[in-house]
Amino acid sequence: MKRRQYVIGAVSFAVAFVIFVIPFIFVVINAMKSAAESARLDFRLPQKWQFWQNLTDVVQARDYMLLLAYFNSTVITVGAVTLLVIFGALVGYVLQRRPSRFSSFVYAFVLTGLMIPPAVVPTIWVLQEINLFKTLHGMILIQVAYGLGFTVLLYRAFIASIPRDLDEAAIVDGARPLQVFFRVILPLLEPVTVTVIVVQSIAIFNDFTHPLYYLPGRENVTVQLTLYNFQSQFVSQMNLLFMNILLVTIPPLIVFIFFNRQIVAGMTSGAVKG
Amino acid sequence: MSRVELKQLRKSYGAVEVMKGIDLVVEPGEFCVFVGPSGCGKSTLLRMIAGLEEQTSGQIEIAGRDVSFDEPSKRGIAMVFQSYALYPHLSVRDNIGFGLSLARRPKAEIRQKVDAVGEILQLGPFMDRKPKALSGGQRQRVAIGRAIVRDPQVFLFDEPLSNLDAALRSQMRLELTELHARLGATMIYVTHDQVEAMTMADKIVVMNAGRIEQVGTPMELYQRPATPFVAGFIGSPRMNLFDGDVARRMGCDVYGIRPEHLLISESDGRWTGQVRHVERLGADTILHLDVPELGALVARTDGNCSFHPGQVVQASPQPDMEFFYAAPG
Amino acid sequence: MKRKSHYPYWFMLPAISVFFVLFIVPTLASLYFSLTIWDPFEARFSGFENYVQFFSEPFLVRGVVNTVGFAIVTCVLKTILGLLLAVLLTSGVWGQGLLRSIVFFPVLVSTIGVGLLFQEMMHPTQGAINVALSWIGINGPGWLTNPSLALFSVALVDVWRGVGLATLIYIAGLATISPDYYEAARIDGATRLQQFWRVTVPLVWPATTTVVMLSLISGLRLFDLVWAMTRGGPGFSSDVLASVIYKQYQSGFWGLSTAGNVILFIMIAVIIAPLTYWFNKREVES
Ligand SMILES: Nc1ncnc2c1ncn2[C@@H]1O[C@H](COP(=O)(O)OP(=O)(O)OP(=O)(O)O)[C@@H](O)[C@H]1O
Ligand SMILES: [Mg+2]
Repeated sequence: MKRRQYVIGAVSFAVAFVIFVIPFIFVVINAMKSAAESARLDFRLPQKWQFWQNLTDVVQARDYMLLLAYFNSTVITVGAVTLLVIFGALVGYVLQRRPSRFSSFVYAFVLTGLMIPPAVVPTIWVLQEINLFKTLHGMILIQVAYGLGFTVLLYRAFIASIPRDLDEAAIVDGARPLQVFFRVILPLLEPVTVTVIVVQSIAIFNDFTHPLYYLPGRENVTVQLTLYNFQSQFVSQMNLLFMNILLVTIPPLIVFIFFNRQIVAGMTSGAVKG
Repeated sequence: MSRVELKQLRKSYGAVEVMKGIDLVVEPGEFCVFVGPSGCGKSTLLRMIAGLEEQTSGQIEIAGRDVSFDEPSKRGIAMVFQSYALYPHLSVRDNIGFGLSLARRPKAEIRQKVDAVGEILQLGPFMDRKPKALSGGQRQRVAIGRAIVRDPQVFLFDEPLSNLDAALRSQMRLELTELHARLGATMIYVTHDQVEAMTMADKIVVMNAGRIEQVGTPMELYQRPATPFVAGFIGSPRMNLFDGDVARRMGCDVYGIRPEHLLISESDGRWTGQVRHVERLGADTILHLDVPELGALVARTDGNCSFHPGQVVQASPQPDMEFFYAAPG
Repeated sequence: MKRKSHYPYWFMLPAISVFFVLFIVPTLASLYFSLTIWDPFEARFSGFENYVQFFSEPFLVRGVVNTVGFAIVTCVLKTILGLLLAVLLTSGVWGQGLLRSIVFFPVLVSTIGVGLLFQEMMHPTQGAINVALSWIGINGPGWLTNPSLALFSVALVDVWRGVGLATLIYIAGLATISPDYYEAARIDGATRLQQFWRVTVPLVWPATTTVVMLSLISGLRLFDLVWAMTRGGPGFSSDVLASVIYKQYQSGFWGLSTAGNVILFIMIAVIIAPLTYWFNKREVES
């Protein structure tokens, strides 16, 4: 490597560090301070390190609400992502394998979901009509509806790369349509499925807007909602607010470390098609 | 071992008719080869027999039963695809046993049948590998094994050797012929390679633009091609064909003479021409001649002849080896 | 007699029914409800009253204008910075892989977390940003307390959070450009700057299309960041359509809220459709 590239790299690092890393360091430092220290909002290292104390305080706050929130968010994320994988793969499969006017119509419809924002109040009205308002399963189905466009886009593109001969070989072997899908196609979708799971999990776990509308009520809190609500509660306890921010930042960080490649694949392949 | 009969089989994609009324009988135990240029509809016809493509009209009978509307798996056929279509996530063993496991056969039976097939095709050492870890020829064998294990009435092959290199191809040709002899099953085989057709077939079906041009044994097609198209398609190098004024002077619409049926000499003959190019193949020599009376003419002579470019030579057709065709239609 | 397809449409039934009931039905219903005075108890047809109100009440008009401004500013910044960062991060500089990760990571972090964090960092007197500025003798502004600056500050944070995605898409786009083009340009004597304008920019056009579309759409729809940082304040100075929709919903003006939603659809359609056309045309021409 040329000297120039070292210099540019080092300078970029310095800049990126200030802009992108320091804010996270700020969170970490303040999450470990006492309430009085953290109220000064500065970068000084804590005089008294109280990581565990802050952690237990946050977890115990408002009657262990954070644990409930993690539970709810996990249920919603796991439920919605599971359905998205199966539903999305089925739709992508039929749309790719059976080109027709009906298929193009369905595809165009599903893709509108990528562009048009949901009409929130009428959605609440619909949810009330079918008794799903303020319920976790209602929220799961909402996330399925909103995530479907992106998921179908990814699956359809990937399935196009699986030769049709495979389906036909299975058909000649006597496989019925569902068997062709579950025994031949689905196992081959593993790479794109990992991408879908990772990208959608992060999106759904981080979603704030839709739980805010569709999941009001204390027993339904999600992680993002508690974070938001704690803000007003913790005005005098910045350390706990930062501890809470730290807690919501760690799951994506772990996922990012392990699934960097799949995230990049998903973000770009979905996007480049537009 | 069964008879296959096609009656007035037609297929259209939208307004385009790609299969224009096919009538054909394949006798039990026959090795029948469909040949024709790219896009003539060989694959489409085969896939209609398999049931992967639905005919627009007409009828398909296998073993005397009308299967026109049956599912592929209910027709008693097995198919070997050009791309092999092996399931990438399954081992060789599971690939071969896939159909049996779908049919919920007992594990022991599946194992025994799969092993027997592995034996026939000498796949023993590879049974637990994934297709990715096999060579082209081995994959080909697995694909054939998957067909054999179904114990079908009719085997269907769509250009199964076209992904292999020349040496492997001729070896597999031999193996397939032996397999046919051993199983005695009816086989229908699609290729665009006329050498494959000539060497393997009991019966050749020459297709052109969605129609059957001629049906016959390899030697019948070689000796008595019914149309200029068949004449030009069967035989290598290609038959010399002349139409227009040249043919009219000989009293027909298309005149044909095979390169191997031309006698070339320095002294006398019917036509005089100049050697433009000499291709030496070892056993034979191919001469490209410019004959003022005809145009370009290709002839085959001895391997150790002494013709050279620029030389003026005489060419004569062997008696009874000339073909005179009237205009089609 | 027709045989059944091996790809039956009913495979799509579960997904399509969820999508239809929870997305299409509300979207269609919104067209009607936007024409009503609607509260938790009843919906009364009122014609275009809600729309008239939207374009006459100054604080609602402000929301519409802010939305467009916000989308344009963030889109322009993300596109330009994203391309420059992508060029930098594909040029083989030292630590390229780690740098990419650093730039991209904020994309994955909770928006609310980011919003709250920057709310603290942008505190007018104690906030880390103004403290740092004071070291070099600058008296930092009230980022979120100054009404004419608040929305711009939110936009900056949105760029901070979203530029990683733009960079990533540009990196994927740059990877598709064959090095041959640069070599040909070098042989023709093009400078680095000329190579950038004559080779990189035209050939990376499909990625530009994607980045512009994605950031415009997300900019127009943005809610969570604004809500976490300013709640539309001070006053209504940083309200965008999505926050207006929420506020009207909370106050029980459901019809008005829904009209805001319909205006947002129309705005997205009006901005995106011609852009798509223009981008595709340029793509075909080049
Ligand atoms: N799905 C389809 N829609 C429209 N036309 C088609 C379709 N499938 C095949 N065809 C047309 O039908 C004709 C026959 O195709 P087919 O694949 O049977 O040719 P082939 O003889 O097998 O050629 P090759 O030797 O190249 O495999 C071609 O002209 C092709 O363009
Ligand atoms: Mg073919």
